[in-house]
Amino acid sequence: MQMTVVEAWIEGPLKRFVVDAGAELALLLHPSGQVLAQHGFARAVDVMSACALAAGIHASSSELGRQLDGRPFRGLHHAGRTRQIFLAEAQSPRGAFVFLTVFGQESSLGLVRLYFEELVNGLAAAAPPVEAITGPALAEHFERDLNRNLAVLFGRA
Amino acid sequence: MSARPFSSILDALTRQRWVTAALVVSERDGIVVESNLQIGQSGDRVAALAASLYRKARLSAKAAGLGAVSFMQLEAPGGRICAVGGGDLVLVVVAEPAVNVGLVRVELLRAVAELLAVGGEVA
Repeated sequence: MQMTVVEAWIEGPLKRFVVDAGAELALLLHPSGQVLAQHGFARAVDVMSACALAAGIHASSSELGRQLDGRPFRGLHHAGRTRQIFLAEAQSPRGAFVFLTVFGQESSLGLVRLYFEELVNGLAAAAPPVEAITGPALAEHFERDLNRNLAVLFGRA
Repeated sequence: MSARPFSSILDALTRQRWVTAALVVSERDGIVVESNLQIGQSGDRVAALAASLYRKARLSAKAAGLGAVSFMQLEAPGGRICAVGGGDLVLVVVAEPAVNVGLVRVELLRAVAELLAVGGEVA
């Protein structure tokens, strides 16, 4: 399954994560829900749904953490019968990202957490200088930007 | 119930000469259940990778028709990792190269029965 990224600097660290952790699916997105990179998804509509759900879960679990513990929860894990989900915030010099991955019985939560730490370090090291960053996703441009990113990921740009 | 149900097993293992760490790890999750570590050792990393290695060794042995894995040893220039499994738990020992592997093996195999007993109580 092919990996596609909106910004080239994400590809190296994400590829290493997928290989090392044995992840089936991986998704890196902005907390607003804008997709930045994907691995393992076949359809743009699935990426769009996963991004919307991941952003929603991240926002609500962060707020739940703030209410309960005074600070946002950073990671979430759900174990299904054959597949598991790990969702966490990845801090980088370019701000916070949300990372979602799905893994099966070939991997484990311990491995995913271990290589997630390396992914975060890899993204921090690979991120371009802050002055080269294009502006943040604005609400009025959200749909346009989302469609542009999906088109880049699925070859319709 | 004790907050450290496996402490007697881990203490017995880390009392062995040249043993630097002992961990009880969930085989399925690769997460540390309980550990005796020295300062600076990364229990989470060792646990995740050793559990993955043990699981793959167990599945390989099964696929090859060799039966259950009783003892796994990894030898590296800087030391050894030894592991035995009991139920869903894996007992992992990290040791320096000079360690008496035979003694560690005996201790680990002896500890498995206790691990299963305590693991059953905890579950």
